[in-house]
Amino acid sequence: MRGLLAIYQKELITYFRSPIAYFVVSVFLVGTGYFFLYNIFMTGIGTMNETLQNMGVVLLIVVPVITMRLFSGEYTGRTMELLMTLPLKPWQIVLGKYLGAGTILLLMTLATCIDLIPLYLYGTPETKTILSGYIGFLLLGMACLAIGQFFSALTQNQIVAALITVPVLLMFWFVGHLQSFQSSYAMRSLLGYLSFAQHFADFIRGLVRSEAVMFYVIVSAIALALNTSYLQWRR
Amino acid sequence: MHTLAAAMPDPMIALRSVSKRYGSKTVVHDVSFDVEQGEIVGFLGPNGAGKTTTMRMIAGYTTPTTGRVTVAGFDMVTQNQAAARKIGYLPEHPPLYDVLDVSTFLRFVAKVKGVSPREVPRALERVIAACHLEAVHRSEIFKLSKGYRQRLGLAQALLGSPEVLLLDEPTAGLDPGQIQETREVIRAFGQNHAVLLSTHILHEVTLICQRVAIINQGRLLAIDSPSGLQRASEQTNSVLLEATAPADSLRDELLSIEGVNAVRVQPMPGRPSMHSVECQVDAGDGIEARIARVVSTRWELHRLERQQPTLENIFLRYVGTGNAERLAA
Repeated sequence: MRGLLAIYQKELITYFRSPIAYFVVSVFLVGTGYFFLYNIFMTGIGTMNETLQNMGVVLLIVVPVITMRLFSGEYTGRTMELLMTLPLKPWQIVLGKYLGAGTILLLMTLATCIDLIPLYLYGTPETKTILSGYIGFLLLGMACLAIGQFFSALTQNQIVAALITVPVLLMFWFVGHLQSFQSSYAMRSLLGYLSFAQHFADFIRGLVRSEAVMFYVIVSAIALALNTSYLQWRR
Repeated sequence: MHTLAAAMPDPMIALRSVSKRYGSKTVVHDVSFDVEQGEIVGFLGPNGAGKTTTMRMIAGYTTPTTGRVTVAGFDMVTQNQAAARKIGYLPEHPPLYDVLDVSTFLRFVAKVKGVSPREVPRALERVIAACHLEAVHRSEIFKLSKGYRQRLGLAQALLGSPEVLLLDEPTAGLDPGQIQETREVIRAFGQNHAVLLSTHILHEVTLICQRVAIINQGRLLAIDSPSGLQRASEQTNSVLLEATAPADSLRDELLSIEGVNAVRVQPMPGRPSMHSVECQVDAGDGIEARIARVVSTRWELHRLERQQPTLENIFLRYVGTGNAERLAA
């Protein structure tokens, strides 16, 4: 546990001593702030539904920037040799880094709560729906981080890691749109099940379905397991 | 009843028929050797000889394709975690996080190595003092000079009281004073621990190593004490001479002397009828006197010298003179 904690702390320090965390959080807040203002003034309805939907799309672009350096940076900095020869199990390295990136996601998410102040001051939003939307957003974010982290482990080049992650995340987001092209019920169900956007839409509507929660947890677990196996295989 | 094997302690580092292949290329071939506690072994070889790959297999960064590596009795494949706690490893390029400062980096390594939170400040103090990092312990790592980076790499290897120290070129990039200090740290550590020291610097090996392992093209060519290698080399050392004599007669006469195994005669440029000769001779006293007597009775002998085997000569003999240019003296 100490090893995992040490990796986690090291990741957090690394994020905040480089411009990445500040840049990512700033871009994300500017983006979500813009969408929040646009949605409130265009629709005149005091909800977070549209904003959360937009936050999901912005996340697909921001996550690769957070995750691209997680392992690629270790390879290029030649520090992977240190990590793999210290008394650390590969899963501790993977999980420590994942939790570090997850903390950045959590901070980003908490920062967007500033949008809720005018919403509660001048409207009557549904707290439960907002809460469910934020839970969905965090689950979506954690799944995206796990995928991005896995691709970062596959290459020494951070840009390549980001460039692979973006289309994969976009594919998971838009895969539900292919349902209408399928005649087979099983295929339509499968594409719907794989869609990040469809599960996220449930959360935004205020539905915390165990199936959707499990979906994001399973996607995260598979990506982390692949990441751990890859590190073991590299030996 | 105790068997002899049970009574003998495990070597701190043991390699048994270790090979490593990358695709179709074999970079380490069937290497076996031990390093005992209280021993510093120099690992000598030209660039690309397989030193770093062997060190990486011992450190657990990569696994052998065939064979077995154990550290303090733990198998590096199946008991990697237990073995890693016994190892301090300084890779060829010190693995440092540039965005961290020196103390934060060392604290991170200490935590991972299982140093108890109460002990961490004392452990840091000890390695900072041992590696003379006091002046920079609050500096960010990216600001450090190459020498300080190297010493910080050594400091992280020393953390956690490892029983085995693996050092890949530990004095690279250091100035003469720092080299001396680093050698003292290694020598002091090696009194009670096992140290495997990969280096290009032959002089360093004679100064601090009890034994030398010579590797080339992935094969272990020899492992012995520096004096043992010299003794072995004395079994077939050479005598150099210069004489004014016809080449063929000189060669025939020298080969007729008992103890002379091979003769190479070369003309000396700009000095007609003079030849320089290298004789491969058996060990033993008196061979120079016999050669001198035979040559000087018939011709004019200008110079005769028995070549003493130095570690450099021995190394070059093992790895081939083609690698001489790649060696740093």
